[in-house]
Amino acid sequence: MPSDIFACFFFFRHGILSPQHFEPGAFTVLADYGYVGILLVAAILFTILLLLIPLTLSLLGVVPRKSNPVKTSTYECGLETIGKTWVQFNFRYYLFAILFVALDVLTIFLYPWAVNLRGLGLFGFIAMVAFFIILLVGYVYAWRKGALEWK
Amino acid sequence: MILKELQLLTPELSLLVFALLVIMLDLFIKQKKVLVVVSIAGILVSAGFTLSLWGIHATDILYAMLSVDQYALLFKLIFLVAAGLVILASQDYISKFAQFQSEYYALVLISALGMMLMAAAQDLIAVYVSLELSSISLYVLASFLKDQKSTEAGLKYLLLGAVSSAVLLYGMALVFGLTGHTCMPCIADSLKGMPISNIMQSPALLMGLILIVAGFGFKIASVPFQMWVPDVYEGAPTPVTAYLSVASKAAGFAVILRVLFVVFGATAWLSQDWGLLIAVLSAITMMVGNVVALSQSNIKRMFGYSSIAQAGYLMVGLAAVGMAAGSDALGRSGLLFFLMSYTFTNLGAFIAIIAISNKLNSDQIEDYTGMSKRAPLLAIALTLCLVSLTGLPPTAGLIAKIYIFNGAVNHGLLWLVIIAVINSVISAFYYFRIVKVMWMGAPASEEKVPSTWALRVALSLCCLFVLLLGVLPAGFMGIAQAAVKIFTGS
Amino acid sequence: MPYQIPWLIFLLPVCSLLIIAFILRPFFNNRPKLGGYVTIAAISTACALSLWVLATVIAAPGHKLDIPDFQWLVIGNLNVHFGLLIDSLTAVMLVVVTIVSLMVQIYSQGYMDGDSGYHRYFAFMSLFTACMLGLIMADNLVLMFLFWEGVGLGSYLLIGFWFHRPSAANAAKKAFIVTRLGDVGFLVAILLLFAQTGTFDTEELHALAIAGTLGGTVLTWVAIGIFSGAAGKSAQFPLHVWLPDAMEGPTPVSALIHAATMVAAGVFLVARFHPLFEHSEVALTTVAIIGGFTAIFAASMGLVMTDIKRVLAYSTISQLGYMMLGLGTGGVAIGIFHLFNHAFFKALLFLGAGSVNHGTGTFDMRQMGGLRKAMPWTYATFLIGSLSLAGIWPLSGFWSKDEIVASALDKPILFYIAMLTVFMTAFYMFRAIFLTFEGEYKGGAPAEHGSHGPNNSYGPHESSKVMVIPLVILSVLSVFSGWLNVTGAFSSFMGHGGEVEAHGFIQGFFGVLSHPVPLISLAVAALGVFLAYAMYSARWISAEVMGRIFKPMYVLFSRKYWMDELYENVIVKKVLINGVFAVLGLFDEKAIDGAINGVANGTVAAGRELRRLQTGQLQFYAMFIVLGLVAITVCYYIFA
Repeated sequence: MPSDIFACFFFFRHGILSPQHFEPGAFTVLADYGYVGILLVAAILFTILLLLIPLTLSLLGVVPRKSNPVKTSTYECGLETIGKTWVQFNFRYYLFAILFVALDVLTIFLYPWAVNLRGLGLFGFIAMVAFFIILLVGYVYAWRKGALEWK
Repeated sequence: MILKELQLLTPELSLLVFALLVIMLDLFIKQKKVLVVVSIAGILVSAGFTLSLWGIHATDILYAMLSVDQYALLFKLIFLVAAGLVILASQDYISKFAQFQSEYYALVLISALGMMLMAAAQDLIAVYVSLELSSISLYVLASFLKDQKSTEAGLKYLLLGAVSSAVLLYGMALVFGLTGHTCMPCIADSLKGMPISNIMQSPALLMGLILIVAGFGFKIASVPFQMWVPDVYEGAPTPVTAYLSVASKAAGFAVILRVLFVVFGATAWLSQDWGLLIAVLSAITMMVGNVVALSQSNIKRMFGYSSIAQAGYLMVGLAAVGMAAGSDALGRSGLLFFLMSYTFTNLGAFIAIIAISNKLNSDQIEDYTGMSKRAPLLAIALTLCLVSLTGLPPTAGLIAKIYIFNGAVNHGLLWLVIIAVINSVISAFYYFRIVKVMWMGAPASEEKVPSTWALRVALSLCCLFVLLLGVLPAGFMGIAQAAVKIFTGS
Repeated sequence: MPYQIPWLIFLLPVCSLLIIAFILRPFFNNRPKLGGYVTIAAISTACALSLWVLATVIAAPGHKLDIPDFQWLVIGNLNVHFGLLIDSLTAVMLVVVTIVSLMVQIYSQGYMDGDSGYHRYFAFMSLFTACMLGLIMADNLVLMFLFWEGVGLGSYLLIGFWFHRPSAANAAKKAFIVTRLGDVGFLVAILLLFAQTGTFDTEELHALAIAGTLGGTVLTWVAIGIFSGAAGKSAQFPLHVWLPDAMEGPTPVSALIHAATMVAAGVFLVARFHPLFEHSEVALTTVAIIGGFTAIFAASMGLVMTDIKRVLAYSTISQLGYMMLGLGTGGVAIGIFHLFNHAFFKALLFLGAGSVNHGTGTFDMRQMGGLRKAMPWTYATFLIGSLSLAGIWPLSGFWSKDEIVASALDKPILFYIAMLTVFMTAFYMFRAIFLTFEGEYKGGAPAEHGSHGPNNSYGPHESSKVMVIPLVILSVLSVFSGWLNVTGAFSSFMGHGGEVEAHGFIQGFFGVLSHPVPLISLAVAALGVFLAYAMYSARWISAEVMGRIFKPMYVLFSRKYWMDELYENVIVKKVLINGVFAVLGLFDEKAIDGAINGVANGTVAAGRELRRLQTGQLQFYAMFIVLGLVAITVCYYIFA
């Protein structure tokens, strides 16, 4: 297993990028992808391993096979669903959801800005004011168009 | 420093202010005509600021995210002109979505803003963000009619646009990974320092190049990334189609030229490498565009393929830039001149089509029969633009083609120019089919085709410039040459 | 002088054309006079500027102005520029064209009064003048050819001005097609020159011809090609057939285009490229022979015409032949000097004929007569023009004709032809004068003939002042213009300084009568005048008897040597339509159409197939993008 990981590491560092041609440091960022690749391969292998263990045990007959209706039902506990699962929600929910997401996500910007306010200086302040004016225009737009009313 | 940077940003800032103003005004006033005036005023103000910056020494602003230089300024003017003409020409069309006028104008302005930033972007991140700004506005605009076809067009554009954005991002990520930079000149420096002399030695660079070309190829409608064009052009509202075919394509070329030239023009072998790639794509693009256009019966669809073919001609210039590897500016200035010519020509054609199809409620070419009797001035204007698209004298199209082909021949792309000339001949068949139908056939009805003053002004401006660029091109060539000067130092 | 002035000369008539077409015609259609005023204002300014240019050229060293080129297109190593070539030849032509054009425009105010196409007329006239000025100033062959065709277009439009008359429409068509035949040769010459030298520039070509780089058979063919273009425009045999028919246009048009300027463009062209001709003996001889033959050939037909404009038309052809003869034997100065003089007196004669038509409503001399009393001004000026044309001392025609005859001395056949032509010219002009102005008035024509003139129910009358004044000015020029070369000043200006002995004006003016050649030609001309007098005024000899005696010749002349029939029935119908066109048509149908259709059908079919890829399915489109990416990558790995 470790040899696989090393092979993978080699693939990224030597197979594609041929580091011996490069000056050191020039490809460090892409090499970081190499570690991501290692993790990815490790994750896939780990999943396969976890699937293989019960299968092997079952084949070896270690695991008992005793089936009954309760064991095979969808919910061993809880309620059965009544009616169709494809319910149509009122479209107004979407409108609210979109507005919420838009304003909410944008508001998150405030935090990093607030943390760095001193460092960003006047320019940062002006940029943020402009940003909020634009946000405000969107808000007023939604308001005047009646998007905030449930009708 | 802040004030200086803000001053350099005035074209974009003023356009943004006016776009917001349009949205706000719509909420509080009843007289919707004001919106057009405000939009046009915004474009004029922004164009005024752009012109006032002309002649400036190239300056990096916003932490080298944007570069304010003549190249960007010329493109900004092209986008503003296109947006202005499209807004003027929309006056006949606006009744189809009268309820959403302000949104329409604001979206046109904001997408123009996105394109202006694209032209100025000097950092891959800035390129991507401004590209998305303009694209998302255009996705909405494409589905503005809200009928079946328009919605389909918008959705297709959105989904395929998302795919291409992803492709572009992959490409940028690879380049970033390879060099550790997102700023274009820094990437170029880093590439110069690499001890490789062939693109095959660095698969990451190869994939980065291909993916980036593919991402922009979608924007400029190059084969094999052109599949969206006919469907979207046909379904979108006609003024939006005009806007897509001109401004969006120009923006694509603005940024692809900068990225390819600054980043991938770092070394001569790399430059010639992508030059050849673009040359091959260009040949295929021209062939596909022209050949398929022959068998179209819907004029908007036909113009979709025509715009693919025109992208092919433009890519001849781009290929020449690559093959030149920075040795002369012929290809670059030719590309800019062709874009100027194409902007006016294609917009003129579309404006005439807007007026005619508005009356006919049809985009079928056969319905244009006898249009010379029903709308003589529109027919003359459309004929002029078609002549220019074919590339015949005395119009801008001819000079533009001579310009761009000359650059290509000088850099060993004679074979490509021969293909391009053959394609020009093929294109004459479908362009002149419209001319023939308009002038030779008997009209189905004698009813005149009406048009608003705004549309007439826009159309006359287009025709004027088509002729001006064709008859007295020297001045415009001077502008194009001045605009690409910023690159010669790098 | 600022170098923009020559450009301005060209642009003024262009502006007048644009103003009439885009402002006056759409918005002031009910005030037709404005069109005339605009044109006259533009051309009179151009005329004044032309005189300025002439004065500057005279003062300039080498009689040549340096005008900076206009850079039209600079793309890499492709540099398309054009400019103006202002030398003595251009300056003289400028003055001739603008003066005659100005006179004709003023005259047209009266002649075209009340015509429904007044604006159109002046717009076309401006177009023609602009093209003509462009033609004489252009410094390269491409531009020259463009304007060359432009004047042809102007001529076509103006001959067919009254297009509702079938005869006018046909004449316009004929003029256009016949001159096109000559232009084929011109175009071939241009292409040949470019293939050989890689330049279109007139002066560079001159230099190459003089240096001998351009020579031999190529030069001969080029010169003959240029001459074929000139022969078409200047109505030289065998392409002369269109000019008499062109008289269907309004008379001022005939005066400007078909007498003074456009037909002289052929002569100008040969003069402009004279250095090329000079280095090819064959070409120069061809010019002289064709010119001489045309001179006598056309004059013979002029003897028997009954339509006064046709007499003048044949006279024009004959005189153009004279100019060609002068160019072929003498040189630029001699040919152009005759062009210069001829422009004034022939324009005068045509305008006089127009005035006669205005008074009587007809061009048929058999229905005129006795107009001397009714139209004294017209008569006086017409007489001056005729005397000048006949070459009577000391009017202008004498001086230039004398030079041509003298230059032909060493080619005896051409000399005798020239002398015979002098006789014929004097005869037919005075035949016209006696028939028109002497004797009894024979009633003119019914009113419907003169569809454009005022109603002439009250008999022949003098024309209005606006028509008479140009006649007077032109008659003054017809008297004096020839005196410019009495001392050899004109010739030396045109670059023939070495050949002409300098002498005083008085000495030259009277001394010319002491030489034998001028005396003989004067005597011959006088004989012609006398014979005309004897036949048509005193009637000592009956014209009918003469007609019977020389019946075969009379028929031959009056049927114009059956040239029209030859063209129409034999060449066009038999050779072209049944022969060449039929074969070409077959070839076109079978070979070319087959090939083109095959390719076109193939392309369209390919389009249909490719179109199928456009399924409309989003998944497929996205797939296509990915496939494209894969294909590009694979190609890289295969080919790189």
